Amino acid sequence: MDAFSKLPEAINELVSEFSSAPVVGDLGAGITQYSFWLLVSAIVLLVVVFTFVKKQTLVPKGLFVNGVEYLVEYVENDVAKGVVGTEWRKHFPFLATIFFFILINNFIGLIPGMKPGTGAIGCTAALALVTFIYFVYFGCKKHGVIGYLKSLAPAGVAFPMNVFVWVIEVFSLLLRPITLAIRLFCNMFAGHIVMGSFAIMASLFAQPLLEQVSAMNALGALPSLAWVAILLIIYAVELIVAFVQAYVFTVLAAVYIQIAEAEGH
Amino acid sequence: MGVIGYGLGVIGAGLAIGLAAFGATSAMARQPEVQGRAFTVFILASAFTEALGLIGFVVTLIS
Repeated sequence: MDAFSKLPEAINELVSEFSSAPVVGDLGAGITQYSFWLLVSAIVLLVVVFTFVKKQTLVPKGLFVNGVEYLVEYVENDVAKGVVGTEWRKHFPFLATIFFFILINNFIGLIPGMKPGTGAIGCTAALALVTFIYFVYFGCKKHGVIGYLKSLAPAGVAFPMNVFVWVIEVFSLLLRPITLAIRLFCNMFAGHIVMGSFAIMASLFAQPLLEQVSAMNALGALPSLAWVAILLIIYAVELIVAFVQAYVFTVLAAVYIQIAEAEGH
Repeated sequence: MGVIGYGLGVIGAGLAIGLAAFGATSAMARQPEVQGRAFTVFILASAFTEALGLIGFVVTLIS
């Protein structure tokens, strides 16, 4: 098949398109395509939130206000109250900010022609680092710096094992931001690569038909219908993934905050 | 070679998601009233294991 021989080259081109390239300025001090869409989604988020605040009434009216309120209450009940526990009110602004920021970035990236701000490892690493500093800060505030370092090891373990467990716990503490960043980045990156590959396959199979209409070419273009169908299914899955990844990031942040503040861990 | 390695690596993630779905369905069958909570936990667990498979995919593409 002619289309299959062109495929590896087209996919290499697709992957190279996903690396950050400067739009304005250079890579050191400029705007890459990812940070451009990051800015766009931040502006969209600000517009959405301020319109929501302005339109709020005692009894919510309309699809927009009810929809945003549903999401806010979802974070409040499922994440803040469910995971963090009694001190949820203090941490709710942080958790809601993270959730809405990631959610709007993921969804902006799903619109064809746009890129997700969270599709670059730098953005997710920054988010994970902020979360790490946040929960270590609140752990230190609650127990004191020495107390927080001591509370990493569970109480009631005999002396020599105690040190061993503490080293393992510190190691897993340092791994937390790395796994948070890599999970979100890989989900966005891989999802978009897979969607792009199926779009490329559909266009490669249909290309002969577009150049010259004949029965032979029409037969050759039939598989591209299947590729388009798979592409639509993957797009639907990506819509779910965009939501679930924002949720997972927020839940994990809440779990880490709860662990850092817990008594007698 | 990288593609073969990814194929081998994804066996683990596939088994893990299968196990999570098995646990969720049997929990829902035994106790239909926990359906909502069991489904949330299942989605969370499969998001964790799916990330491992996707890390393999990205590493294959990058290397």
